Amino acid sequence: MTLPEGQEPDATSDPGATPEAAAPAPEVAAETPAKPAAERPVRPAKEAEPKEAPRVAPPAGSINETLAAAAPGVVFNAYMVPEMKGECVTVEVSRDDLTAVMTAARDDERLDLKYLRCLSGVDWQDEGLEVVYHLWSFTKKHSLQVKTRVTYDDANVPSIATIYPAADWHERETRDMFGINFEGHWNLVPLLLPEDMTDHFPLRKDNPLQEIEEWQGENLRDGAGEGDE
Amino acid sequence: MVLERDPALEVVDMPINMGPQHPSTHGVFRMVLVVNGEKIVDLVPHIGYMHRGGEKLMEAMDFRQGIGYCDRTEYLAQFSAELAYCLAVERLMDLQVPERAEYIRVILTEMNRLSSHFMFAGAFGVDAGVFATSFTYAFPQREFLQEVFEEVSGDRLMYAYFRVGGLAWEVPDNFVQRVHEVLVHSAQGLKDIDDLLTKNEIFMARCQNIGNFSADQAIAYGLSGPMLRASGVPWDLRKDEPYSVYDRFNFEIPVGNYGDVYDRYLVRMEEMRQSISIIEQALEQLPPDGPIVPEKMPRRLRTPPGEVYAKVEAPRGEWGVYLVSKGGDKPYRLKMRSPSFCNLSALRDMTIGQYLADAVMILGSMDIVLCDVDR
Repeated sequence: MTLPEGQEPDATSDPGATPEAAAPAPEVAAETPAKPAAERPVRPAKEAEPKEAPRVAPPAGSINETLAAAAPGVVFNAYMVPEMKGECVTVEVSRDDLTAVMTAARDDERLDLKYLRCLSGVDWQDEGLEVVYHLWSFTKKHSLQVKTRVTYDDANVPSIATIYPAADWHERETRDMFGINFEGHWNLVPLLLPEDMTDHFPLRKDNPLQEIEEWQGENLRDGAGEGDE
Repeated sequence: MVLERDPALEVVDMPINMGPQHPSTHGVFRMVLVVNGEKIVDLVPHIGYMHRGGEKLMEAMDFRQGIGYCDRTEYLAQFSAELAYCLAVERLMDLQVPERAEYIRVILTEMNRLSSHFMFAGAFGVDAGVFATSFTYAFPQREFLQEVFEEVSGDRLMYAYFRVGGLAWEVPDNFVQRVHEVLVHSAQGLKDIDDLLTKNEIFMARCQNIGNFSADQAIAYGLSGPMLRASGVPWDLRKDEPYSVYDRFNFEIPVGNYGDVYDRYLVRMEEMRQSISIIEQALEQLPPDGPIVPEKMPRRLRTPPGEVYAKVEAPRGEWGVYLVSKGGDKPYRLKMRSPSFCNLSALRDMTIGQYLADAVMILGSMDIVLCDVDR
């Protein structure tokens, strides 16, 4: 911690201090002699945190309706995550429909999503591997987030590098890190990893960070990101 | 005996390795160029020497610790990287950043843009054959800016000064005065580099009409930042999808006409002037005092489950952070969409058909940071 002189974290300070200062407070408080129970501020009962992000249906007239018109016959599940502050509609498509959806998104005049912002892989463990595409339209000023999910045993997703050249390196990186095979990619060789490292996928959750795990005394395998008090 | 002449020389494709020790490959970047005579027919970039698994590491760090890693990823525009990360977490946690903190963030981020573009101008001049003169013009300016960053954050390179919700601590008392002083230097340094390079006939001949990319190509290849604007797309996240307090300033978005290497240089030079203007406006509007962290700052940074894609206009383009949280104090998945990585992916198609000597200029005009490419 790099606090300057005179700004040492104070265990008794109010929680409005800087996050750096506030963080070690619980440990310090535990060592001080316990106050009589009556004086102790009663910690409110902990609310059970939701495990899933809340999802709401996009309002009428959203981009998913345009997409349904532009790509007839494609079945998808459209929703919005409130944390995205309403800016982005997400559609979940099956990988068989991905090429059709992406082609429609790029070429249809009503959508005109010509810009692939970002392509990410996410490892959902029991629920398979997910690829997330962020699209943006410079003319219509709207965005769309497309998701597709595959299983570990059959981690094949059609490549969209011919539709969006920007996806070329993103797909290679995602193959490196998650082992997702992008079918039809012209040059799917390791990009960030060594050339011979084709069977080890660092960003999958079954690759624990052993050393950091030991330092923190936590087991990432039993629920990454679910820190306790 | 009659001497016969050989028929015309047979020209074959020849692979040439360039880098990683080549002075103009910017960091540990290596590329294999296949040339036919002087023309490039193929190019294979080799990246990944600096890959440190940052995204994996950040999954094991809580939301405070991750900020330090942002600096180490984008070491020429640290504040932009920190800002994108903080914005992502703040949006998930639904935190309102106090106004004073927002202004200080903008001032520092724009100063960071200046220092980063000074670095570009210096290195690009060297690529163009100005020898070290442009470096000697640009580096003192970067040093002046870095002195302020050091006074504010206590570190010369790895600032880690932004915090989720605000700032780590208050800026020094003489901060406003110091920024004014440094801006005078920066304006002068900008003029010096302008005089040295912009209208220099050799420099212009060296830069113009190479590495052209049309607007449609730039969009298809996912370019961003000055690379995209030089191709004629007036797109700047500060203006078009304002974050922080950028909607309160008047500034112009410079756009190129031809999408060549010279346009990219011109766009960056004009951006520096606009940055100086933004900083001056921000200093005027900066609230003299006030909190720099939200009043109801939680003791531990825990986010609800959800996902967010936050983006800022970094000096090299769109710096995006795709953050997926399952709840708790650590990211479940954090993807850094680094502008250098996306811009560099267009290098192959931008370079094919150009002359070998121009490959150096085209690479230089991308202004990549290799740590940012490899993450």
